[in-house]
Amino acid sequence: MSDKPVKFYSKDKAHQAAEKLVNEAVTSSRASDDGFQGQSLATTKASEIQLLSDRKKPWYKRLFWPSLSAFIITAAGYEAYQFVTGLLQENWLLGSGVGLLAGIVVISGGYSLFKGWKARRRFKHRQTQQQQFEQLLKGKSYGQANQLIASVTDEVEQYVRIEALKTSYEQKKQQVHNDQELIHIYSSSVLQGLDKMALDVVTKHASEAAAMVALSPLAAADMALVAWRSSKMIEQLSQLYGCPQTALGRFEMTKRVFKNMMLAGASELVADAGVELLGKSLTATISAKAAQGIGVGVLIARMGLQTMHLCRPIPFGQDDKPKLGQIRKSVYHKVVGLVKTASAGKADKSDDAIEKKK
Amino acid sequence: MDWLNKIAKKSSDIVDRSLDRNVRVAVTGLSHSGKTAFITSFINQLLHAPLTSQLTFFQADSENRLRGSKLSQHNELHIPGFDYSGAIKRLTNETAKWPLSTNGVSQAQLKCRFNVKHSWLKKIQAQSTVTIDIVDYPGEWLLDLPLLHMSFKDWSKACRDYLKSERRQEYTQKIASTISNQNYQSQHQDEVELSESVARLSTEYKAALLDYRADYNDYGLALPGRFIMPGELKGAPTLDFFPVLNDDVLSLDWEQFEENSLLRTLEKRFDYYKDNVIKPFFNEYFSRVDRQIVLIDTCTVLESGYEAYQDLKLTIEKLLEGFSYGRAHWLKRLFAPSIDKLMIASTKADLVPPDQHAALESFMQKMVAQAKNNVGYEGVEVETMAISAIATSEAVATEHAGKKLLCVKGKEERTGESVLHYPGIVPDKPLSRQHWDELEIDFSAFALPNLTPDEPLPQIRMDKVIQFLLGDKFL
Repeated sequence: MSDKPVKFYSKDKAHQAAEKLVNEAVTSSRASDDGFQGQSLATTKASEIQLLSDRKKPWYKRLFWPSLSAFIITAAGYEAYQFVTGLLQENWLLGSGVGLLAGIVVISGGYSLFKGWKARRRFKHRQTQQQQFEQLLKGKSYGQANQLIASVTDEVEQYVRIEALKTSYEQKKQQVHNDQELIHIYSSSVLQGLDKMALDVVTKHASEAAAMVALSPLAAADMALVAWRSSKMIEQLSQLYGCPQTALGRFEMTKRVFKNMMLAGASELVADAGVELLGKSLTATISAKAAQGIGVGVLIARMGLQTMHLCRPIPFGQDDKPKLGQIRKSVYHKVVGLVKTASAGKADKSDDAIEKKK
Repeated sequence: MDWLNKIAKKSSDIVDRSLDRNVRVAVTGLSHSGKTAFITSFINQLLHAPLTSQLTFFQADSENRLRGSKLSQHNELHIPGFDYSGAIKRLTNETAKWPLSTNGVSQAQLKCRFNVKHSWLKKIQAQSTVTIDIVDYPGEWLLDLPLLHMSFKDWSKACRDYLKSERRQEYTQKIASTISNQNYQSQHQDEVELSESVARLSTEYKAALLDYRADYNDYGLALPGRFIMPGELKGAPTLDFFPVLNDDVLSLDWEQFEENSLLRTLEKRFDYYKDNVIKPFFNEYFSRVDRQIVLIDTCTVLESGYEAYQDLKLTIEKLLEGFSYGRAHWLKRLFAPSIDKLMIASTKADLVPPDQHAALESFMQKMVAQAKNNVGYEGVEVETMAISAIATSEAVATEHAGKKLLCVKGKEERTGESVLHYPGIVPDKPLSRQHWDELEIDFSAFALPNLTPDEPLPQIRMDKVIQFLLGDKFL
């Protein structure tokens, strides 16, 4: 290597190839910068700032859960096998009956595992769709959103009838709209319709759960109720947005919902705190049980909103985020109404009793 | 219960007044940038919005909150009305024609009734009305702004320097020498005769510079705005003046000149023009306009050469200067401007295939970047967009030489036949001189499609323009 300056001439044939390469590199990097040139989807993702995931856990740590579950399954399988063969030796009828049962358990378990895996994949797919939409919303590209929107529409259509919403979208969109505009139109026509239905579902489940908890006499029953209602709600909501989750697949989803509630919910909590403080004196006048019911109702409503956030293909904008306030009001009214009728009923009964005594 | 009703009415009035539901939108642009078409479409869209809800991005409309809208008489009775019905009639005639362009200020007033959205205000009044005044004035008049702090001597010097360039001399040599040969000092007894000779000379001066401007599209100080667009002042003596170009006269002390000399007459007219034409105009438009939209015909710029582009860029920067008043800017001390939103729109986007709208917008954005930056610095919200007030085409995909190509389809202006047109690749940033020469681009204007007065005019992104300019008033 020398330190002397070197001059290349453009007409030099050997040099031309190299020069072209640099040029190409420059233009391609510019193309990805501009956003509307097309290839932006993949490249910008890489440039995002992220914490590196801790892939470097030692292998023996990573193997703990798989090996434990494999061990338990083998042990259980072995035990079951021994159990069935033991029974067969004693009485062939009893043995084959139990064997049949075991077979059914294996088949149905396998099937639900498979469904759960599919649901998980759908959920992951939805997450990538969300990211793609978010990317498109940032740029000013043209002609890329149509396909994505069509695929979302297909997914939703399998579970919900949305002809009316679809026609309103078709009417509103024009040939000249770019991706950003199309996504906004889709979000404000089709998805807003779904949002309304989803909010109805959330309100219904939240107020029902609130009423049940307010009336149930057992604390243990409360917990079961919350688990049951919330899982039912998540199932319905996810189906509404076209990525239905099943019992096993829901596990992942529930985990995410709770995580998000803890993280994102905190800020909402601050915003809602004022209203909640105001409401406190009111709730205090009702019995402690009713207050508990309202608390559970709000919790389930919050879970419902988080599920909506996770399942909606296009992320909510700043203005159209669903708000907790409206749901809380209907939860409150439901419980207060229940308590009032119950107490009125009691008063009637006691009046009756007094009259009878007379 | 009478007093209750009274209180309700009063509180509703107070809300209206404190919220300021009157908005004054000023529309400007250089001539042939499509001002009249824009205003026609703007009114048309708002009139049809409550019936058809076609304005997707105008929130009040997409939420179905508009109850009705109508044209009404504006309060500034000295400003001519905008001839909306005439424009629509021309557009929907058997042989459709573009609306006649206006040569001065005109104004239209629209009233829109809508359902209030805000949850607290709703309790005071369920419905409210927004009054929209649309004022249209030639962009050329904005270019007079620098004249305001110039004396006649300063202006003459500026003109002398401006006319020195070779390109301009071709046009102005003859008149410049005539002007230089005038005797500025001698006294004139007959005022009428003097006035006539000044008028003759200034007409010649204007004609020479207007010829030059027509060829080069160059707007300089030497041609004040009213020389180009006299409006209602056509033939008024205040427009009859021209600069002093002789170096020897310019170097003199002008105090010694007699009252009746040619120079004094010219100076008087220049000052009159400043005080009685420019100042009232800026006073009226700057201190009372809330929203401003500037229209730029980017397509025509792209078709013309590098020089024309640079000239227009300068002009637009000058034009936008009026909106970038600083905190201690003399303009602010004079007029107290009140514009809080400014949109710079590239018109005639219907001549460009939709996948290139982003490039068109980006090109225009970079052209006005410096001016936009200055305006934005003053806390004015600035937005740029590629729009079409009356769309004459639709987008069509076709195949050419084995490649998929997005084109625009419309009626050819001459023959009336349906044609597909691909204008070439629109650059997304300003080009160097060499690239500009290599640029192959052709936007052929289409004829008007068949329109009916019963349906809203076809448009591109007018809904976004309306949302930006008026959206916050429909709370």
